[in-house]
Amino acid sequence: MRNALLAALLVTVSIRAPAIDTAELPDPAQQQRYERLIHELQCLQCQGENVADTPAQFAADIRRQVREMIQAGSSDAQIRQYLLDRYGEKILLRPPWTLANSWLWLAPGLLLLAGVIIAVRIVRQRRQLLATDTSEPGEEETHS
Amino acid sequence: MNRFWIPLIAFALLCAMFGVALKRAPDKEVVVSALINKPAPEFRLPDLLNPGQTVDSTRFKGRWVLVNVWGSWCVECSRENPVLLDIQKSGKVAVLGINYNDKDEDARKFLADLGNPFAAVGVDREGRVAIDYGVYGAPENFLVNPQGVIVKKVWGITPDIWQNTLLPLIDGTKS
Repeated sequence: MRNALLAALLVTVSIRAPAIDTAELPDPAQQQRYERLIHELQCLQCQGENVADTPAQFAADIRRQVREMIQAGSSDAQIRQYLLDRYGEKILLRPPWTLANSWLWLAPGLLLLAGVIIAVRIVRQRRQLLATDTSEPGEEETHS
Repeated sequence: MNRFWIPLIAFALLCAMFGVALKRAPDKEVVVSALINKPAPEFRLPDLLNPGQTVDSTRFKGRWVLVNVWGSWCVECSRENPVLLDIQKSGKVAVLGINYNDKDEDARKFLADLGNPFAAVGVDREGRVAIDYGVYGAPENFLVNPQGVIVKKVWGITPDIWQNTLLPLIDGTKS
């Protein structure tokens, strides 16, 4: 019981996201752009995480860069390009739509489609088998 | 017959796909630098070893430079240090240090303890020049040619990397 309580406590504690930034940008629209951008960017020091939610030094430096560029009047596209020029496309969490990356985006849909087609064919075959089955229901119950 | 062949072909295709992906990215942690064949970012930073002075990267134009990003907090950097000392002794390149996200006292102690391979060390305490170089950890090394263009990026330098990767680029025996 005590362990369960402890576990529950740990879970609730870890769910609370740490407040990483101390001050918000004065302009709410800028703050909104800032929030969106830092969620798009990958922390290269801790790959798989965005720079918004990690305390790593690299993420802090990138957040400061984005914040300063927004305040200096750069557009979202300019900020993305600035980071792409230096870090390459890995700085973006969502791989950009290029020919080399196309299979990343297409594969899940194609695999799902293939699965659906196979499932439909199996169901059809079963139906046909049932339709041609002349035995009375329950007749061969011992079999199944 | 299909029952046997379709899964087998699908499996073979998957294997081929993974094989190609693994070949192309031997180490997923490593981010290929976007700066290869681009001009090395220029910088002016406070001089770690001569307080009050600045290190100007343009001073090194016209010769081969190894830009080494390091910190006293970085374990791999202390392992790399003797290799950098040998490189500096060879006289083939100027080793230009960027001290990244560090404390000046710690950095100076690091060099006093292990030896100083650097022609100059700039202090990048906020990591601004590091962002210009696309740096996300330490050590990171950029080989810059006399025209000021980055020709190669490597992470930690070993004697093997120096002999077989960097030196041939400097001597022009490999392009």
